[in-house]
Amino acid sequence: MIRILKQAMVVARRDFMAVVATPTFLLFLFAPLLMLGLGLLSGTGAAYVATTSNDIAARIVAIAPPPLGAELSQADAAVRQIFRDYEAPPPFLVVTPEADVAAQAEALFKNDKYEVTAVMSGKLDSPQIAHRQVSDRHARYLATLAEEVSRARASGIALDKKQVKPQFVKRKADAPRAGTKQASGFGAVIVIFMLTLMLASQAVGMLAEEKSNKVIEILAAALPLEAVFLGKLIGMFGVAVLFVAFWATLAGLVVALAPAGMMLNGFAPAIGLPMFMILCGAYFSMAFMLLGAVFLGFGAQAATMREIQMMSLPITIFQMAMLGLSSAAAGTPGSTIALVAEIFPFSSPFAMAARAATDSAIWPHVLALAWQALWVAITIWVSVRLFRIGVLKSGGGFRNVLSVMRGAKA
Amino acid sequence: MSNPVSSENPVWAQGLEKSFGSFQAVKGVSLSVPQGMIYGVLGPNGAGKTTTLRMLLGIIDPDKGERRLLGDPQPRNVAHRVGYLPEERGLYPNMKAREAIAFMGALRGLDWNEGRKRGAEMMEATALADAVDRKIKQMSKGMAQLVQLLGSIVHRPEFIVLDEPFSGLDPVNQESLEKLIVAERDRGATILFSTHVMSHAERLCDRLAIIAGGLRRFEGTVEEARGTLPMRAHYVPCSDGDVSALLPSGAERTARGWRFTVPDGGAEKLLLSLIKGGHGIEGLSMERPGLHDAFVRIVGESRADGQEAAL
Repeated sequence: MIRILKQAMVVARRDFMAVVATPTFLLFLFAPLLMLGLGLLSGTGAAYVATTSNDIAARIVAIAPPPLGAELSQADAAVRQIFRDYEAPPPFLVVTPEADVAAQAEALFKNDKYEVTAVMSGKLDSPQIAHRQVSDRHARYLATLAEEVSRARASGIALDKKQVKPQFVKRKADAPRAGTKQASGFGAVIVIFMLTLMLASQAVGMLAEEKSNKVIEILAAALPLEAVFLGKLIGMFGVAVLFVAFWATLAGLVVALAPAGMMLNGFAPAIGLPMFMILCGAYFSMAFMLLGAVFLGFGAQAATMREIQMMSLPITIFQMAMLGLSSAAAGTPGSTIALVAEIFPFSSPFAMAARAATDSAIWPHVLALAWQALWVAITIWVSVRLFRIGVLKSGGGFRNVLSVMRGAKA
Repeated sequence: MSNPVSSENPVWAQGLEKSFGSFQAVKGVSLSVPQGMIYGVLGPNGAGKTTTLRMLLGIIDPDKGERRLLGDPQPRNVAHRVGYLPEERGLYPNMKAREAIAFMGALRGLDWNEGRKRGAEMMEATALADAVDRKIKQMSKGMAQLVQLLGSIVHRPEFIVLDEPFSGLDPVNQESLEKLIVAERDRGATILFSTHVMSHAERLCDRLAIIAGGLRRFEGTVEEARGTLPMRAHYVPCSDGDVSALLPSGAERTARGWRFTVPDGGAEKLLLSLIKGGHGIEGLSMERPGLHDAFVRIVGESRADGQEAAL
């Protein structure tokens, strides 16, 4: 075993250096930054459009004489406070009534300066509110303003006069609720899945280089194929670890520099944060090795880049299925589906990471990691045999695959 | 010298068979390569040479038969004592030459730094000194091939397998390679190489096997291979008279005389009858058949056997 590991490390070292010691690796390393930049850019753009569209385009209007208009404006200022910016109704506008109020309202809807979504006119106790088909919430908001003014008049208390002096007390961190723990688990599933999706999927084309430049013959003659496959996985895993370490360090710095409790507020795994992070690291490793071994095995069968590209769809579907199963497990801890996801080897790393968020017991994780490591070995073993039969032609096709399987059972 | 057929020899194989689907590539090859020899595996294209070598090295497993490499029935167990240059050359194009040699050594258990050091030394000794830190993709095919050969022997293996090592090399590089092979034999290594170019085999091989149609058709020394064919004679008579009646059947007319196969028992009796018949001897040369002729005859016979079997 040690000899195989030593041999695998030769292949891993070559692969690691071949990836890392190229300018392309920087592009790979900073790809999330590009994604983040593009996300920020489009987000900023969208926010700008939303803001400016609110400022320039949309308005809700009350046609009211000056005293009532002022009261309605006060009511708007008071009620608007409870909305978040992106939920707030369009800016409120008061216009003085003209002779024909109905015509005036119609003119407001048709004006080119801004888009009026709702217009309130008439008496305060029975206002008439016209609105566009999709703006009934804006109409109800205007009705609420009228109601507020009406109540203020009835009570004789001016709207800008505060009767209640509330004391806002922010509680210290609560013990995590079940929902928070589940959310932490779900977060872990998503993060590990995304990393695995980005990094392990590359394993599918890892033997393509050796097959195209015929180095595979040299590797196959010098080392057991198990060592070649394991070495390729370890080499790629080294690249993944470098990638994760880089971004984890940056994330750690951001968390450290952020105000206390701001970043990890509500992130409360049952097993404790340090152990949770360690387990997530271990499960990411297992997910990478397991799915990487599957992809490497499939990719090794491909004769051309076209075949490798064709394999990307079933591989993505397989990964999405694992995400679905693990997400279901994260959403229903302790259920049968959760147990299935924890036992099924290819969803087990994700599901067990989710379990760490809701269950404080350590032993299931020790068991799960051993189980997953066993499946890494089994997957490599099967991939190697398939490679030997399919590519090196050391066998007679499908019948030999079956005999290999039978041999494994025996 | 060790016994040519002993199972204690570095390479010993008995009745190796291998099929790919319905095609039987190797039909029962037996080989035994004695210690410290340069051993040639000769055969036409598609004879099963490469498949035989791959089975001996454990890259693929035989369907039937036994093999032993350096005394071990599991060839992979002794991979670190073996060097291999495959027929399809393969190097990482972005690797520097010295790194490529070190990498190939590391695959066989040599320390990476030691591999780099030896790689540079070996390249300097083979007129590749100025290419030590050159990337493989920047080298000519012949240079890259030499680098790969150096990579396959950098760990100083006891047994070296070279599959068609001369293909694609220019005459200068072919000579360098021949010298390298002889030097490795002199170092004590046993060398097995396949080729279908007879001149290399004739110059280098201590023993050889000829494989054709998936079977071993001959095993022995170069001299023994030549000995499978009778001597040929080229005779120029003094007179212009017809001598064909006195010559063995199958004698061919040449520009100045006749060429014929020397009959069993020698040419003396025949020459005597020619002299007595008044034709005299203006010229006579005896021609030893080359390995090429022996190869062509052996392979030709095997093809005829195959056709007969097919009938």
